Amino acid sequence: MSEPVKTSVPFEPILTKYINEPNAHTIEHFLARGGYEVARAHVGVTDPATLVGIVKDSGLRGRGGAGFPTGMKWGFLAKGTGKPAYLAVNGDESEPGTHKDRHILEKDPHQLLEGVILTCWAIQSNHAFIYLRGEFILGYERLEAAVRAAKGKGFIGKGIFGTAFDLKVTVVRGAGAYICGEETGMLSSIEGGRGYPKIKPPFPAISGLFKCPTIVNNVETIANVTHIIKNGADWHKQWGTEKSPGYKIFCLSGAVKKPGVYEVPLGIRMADFIEQYGGGLVEGRAMKAVIPGGLSAPLLTPEMVENCTLDYESLASLGSMLGSGGITVLHDGVDMMSAIYNTMRFYHHESCGQCTPCREGTGWLEKLAHKHHSGHAAEGDADLLADVAKNMRGRTICVLADAAAMPMQSYLQHFRADFDARAHEPAHAARHRTARDEITPAAKRDSVLHGAPGVADVGMGNRE
Amino acid sequence: MSEIKQVNLKIDGRDVTVPADWTVIRAAHANDIDIPHYCYHKDLSIAGNCRICMVNVKGAPRPVVGCATPVAEGMEVSTMAPDAVEARKGVMEFLLINHPLDCPECDQAGECKLQDYSVDHGRDHGRFTEEKVRKSKATLGPHVKYWGSRCILCTRCVRFTDEVSGTGELGVIYRGDRSEIATFPGRALDNPLSMNTVDICPVGALVSSDFLFQSRVWHLHSNPSVCADCSVGCNTRVDLDAKDQIKRIVPRRNDAVNKEWMCDSGRLSFGYAYSDRLQKPKVHGKDATWREARRAALELLSGTNGSSVVVLVSAWNTNEAMATVKDFVSAEVAGARIVGYGNPTQQDQTFPGFTIRGDKNPNRDGLKSVLGIADADASLKALAAETAPIGTLLVVHNVPGFAMTAEFKAVLDRSENVVLLDFADGELLRYGNVAVALPTLTSFEKAGTFVNHDGLAQEFAPVMEPVTHGVPESDLFASLKQDARAATVSGVKA
Ligand SMILES: Cc1cc2nc3c(=O)[nH]c(=O)nc-3n(C[C@H](O)[C@H](O)[C@H](O)COP(=O)(O)O)c2cc1C
Ligand code: SF4
Ligand code: SF4
Ligand code: SF4
Ligand code: FES
Repeated sequence: MSEPVKTSVPFEPILTKYINEPNAHTIEHFLARGGYEVARAHVGVTDPATLVGIVKDSGLRGRGGAGFPTGMKWGFLAKGTGKPAYLAVNGDESEPGTHKDRHILEKDPHQLLEGVILTCWAIQSNHAFIYLRGEFILGYERLEAAVRAAKGKGFIGKGIFGTAFDLKVTVVRGAGAYICGEETGMLSSIEGGRGYPKIKPPFPAISGLFKCPTIVNNVETIANVTHIIKNGADWHKQWGTEKSPGYKIFCLSGAVKKPGVYEVPLGIRMADFIEQYGGGLVEGRAMKAVIPGGLSAPLLTPEMVENCTLDYESLASLGSMLGSGGITVLHDGVDMMSAIYNTMRFYHHESCGQCTPCREGTGWLEKLAHKHHSGHAAEGDADLLADVAKNMRGRTICVLADAAAMPMQSYLQHFRADFDARAHEPAHAARHRTARDEITPAAKRDSVLHGAPGVADVGMGNRE
Repeated sequence: MSEIKQVNLKIDGRDVTVPADWTVIRAAHANDIDIPHYCYHKDLSIAGNCRICMVNVKGAPRPVVGCATPVAEGMEVSTMAPDAVEARKGVMEFLLINHPLDCPECDQAGECKLQDYSVDHGRDHGRFTEEKVRKSKATLGPHVKYWGSRCILCTRCVRFTDEVSGTGELGVIYRGDRSEIATFPGRALDNPLSMNTVDICPVGALVSSDFLFQSRVWHLHSNPSVCADCSVGCNTRVDLDAKDQIKRIVPRRNDAVNKEWMCDSGRLSFGYAYSDRLQKPKVHGKDATWREARRAALELLSGTNGSSVVVLVSAWNTNEAMATVKDFVSAEVAGARIVGYGNPTQQDQTFPGFTIRGDKNPNRDGLKSVLGIADADASLKALAAETAPIGTLLVVHNVPGFAMTAEFKAVLDRSENVVLLDFADGELLRYGNVAVALPTLTSFEKAGTFVNHDGLAQEFAPVMEPVTHGVPESDLFASLKQDARAATVSGVKA
């Protein structure tokens, strides 16, 4: 039943073109394919406003999750404040199901750096920070090496490309917290504090890193900049839809034959994408649901998938979101109660704990999900879940609370029968309970406070 | 300085006009409209994390937090709109799910914002039946203990140590609903302002080690006072139990003096009101009646030539006491010299949001304005440097924790007789040549006025009944004067 991908213009991968070549991460490889020429042509030459204009016209939307128009964001940067402006590149990539930035960082870091240089010239910033998720060891090493190599060539540092423009690039590593991917959480972390998101307004473009005007963009967003400036806004708009122009990297995982990272034009049918790139569902399985844009995105039923195209507006109209581009296919054998419990464990683990509804709500959702998973739920627990999720939405500093509540709401909407079936079903619990499923925060905490080596005696007051 | 313009908005149907750089909560509070709040504190930065202050703003898609939302011209705020009520109810429930609800043994009970807002904004039953998250208890410093499971993570305490004391001992550890407050490794919450964290903690998570389990707060009654421990003159509230025993002292807001802060030393220094008190008058070390003691004092004061009487007045006396001293001297011992003194001045302790004055006397300014002693220390020094014997030395003391100085000793040693007015049975009394000791009162037991380092005169009333047979200086001098008159009239001049 597979139809060919429908797109008016033929498409070849752009951002991921070289990721399978062994030495694509080296500066030699990058220079040999014309690397840094776009930056050299524009830095110190082209009016920055012109570059912002090109990115605006291209319709590029942020690839970090929210899909905010990039050029428009750049236009919001506060000017004439007497403070430096910063670029903060978000490479925290912690949204489950998402691993696209990782490929750019590990396999083609110079592509990102050229985008950083052009962006900094466009927004007139002399200092860019690139924040990496702590677990990205190889990505960190390769990016650091790339920064050193680019510095060695005079592309980063004082007077780059022989112009009067200075550019410092600082690579910062996180310590493995999902919340440090939220833009203001990331800024707090770069500042040296806990990764606590900040209240908006003020938005980072007005007052961000160290209270200075700051542009935050995702790695993939910035990697796009070079190609758009090189080829023009119209070139970018030849793919995709009116509101979602261009192409995007998707990470396909779950019950498909060929999971992987695929760069495709926006606007293609999701069903076609799964079929053509993923090779369809694994043998003998049917589709039960799809998580379309990273774990936070409300899931789609097979019927919804049929009507879905890979662009921001289609997913929004289905009550979900394109998000980070992490697509996970669940097959008909998946226990939805296990899936939602696992999902809730993640958000409970990752809530930063600042806001009451998120700090307390994520834990409550996990505990109730666990009850449904283990068959210990009582009648009314599913309604309670719905109410707790509702009480978390739109009431917090950042949208992690919503990101936790939305999947729960979508499971309740589409798989309510699965919840109800688990109320009072102890037999299921006996069959499925595993050590991993035990949520005993007290016991866990006791071991951290009293038992774990290196933790017990770090001070923190005389604790009991 | 550019002029901040005013904006007009409506809160719960009332028209209010406030500066444009205010937040909704500030505008509401300034106009006596209540918006509940935990993390918001007038003197700390905005955290916006508790989410209890949500209000409805016309045109906004969902309720917003009043503490972080700037006012705007024409804004219409409703604190009672259904969505705001609903939001607060949700937050209240979340706050309580992992809370131990151990009010019966919690020090905060009775003055706890969780209790108050539960009644006003919560629901009447709990829906959480899971295992609660348990957290640790910790001794954070010499005066402050932490009850983790009661903590609502409002970070007021953390912001206090960051912004007001500037000492930064506190932080949040762990994540999500496992978060706790802790001191940084190797640090203790031991700064001189540490107990303010107990006051601003809206729940029973931070408790004072000194007050812990001392009393249920509803058994206490409170009286306003002014701290005498240094020349700031923090406005205080003294809490006493049914036996009129002081249980704790906490700051009372006065933006011109101490905002809502005070130092630990000031709030803990009330023990002197109860220990080592001079209970009764003494003549040559023996208990005497008031009449005997006054007579003995008068003999020593008027029996000598006025020029050999020296009157020492400490900077711990009230303006009123100083004025009666002055009045008495001019009437009865004309020509006597009046010299001032005080506790030695130490370094100011300056923090980003508060200064504890090094002048450990509540009323050095009174000496200046009432008795014309511009520099008390210099006047004592000059007296000490002289050699001429002093006939009678009248000391109006009242200095708790007085450290005897060489200069003070030199003056005492030169004095034939000493008449001491003091509330304490202390070092000074035992020094030797005190002929007559007349008991006075601590500032907790009398009324008066202290003039602080800033020249601000602050009146205070007694917070409790006198613990001893002591009397206020004004009464004492009035009686002395009366006695002196009576003696002359009846011819029984001693
Ligand atoms: C909980 C949470 C986690 C996020 N994690 C990431 C992330 O890992 N990487 C990322 O680029 N954006 C992440 N975002 C989105 C960022 O806040 C921000 O919108 C994005 O970095 C902006 O870049 P863009 O406009 O180029 O997309 C996250 C947002 C939230 C609320
Ligand atoms: S919503 Fe959750 S993750 Fe976001 S700031 Fe609040 S507590 Fe932290
Ligand atoms: S200890 Fe008190 S003041 Fe500090 S965060 Fe917890 S509740 Fe707030
Ligand atoms: S600063 Fe001075 S007046 Fe204020 S509490 Fe401390 S000792 Fe008392
Ligand atoms: S008082 Fe506004 S969020 Fe806490």
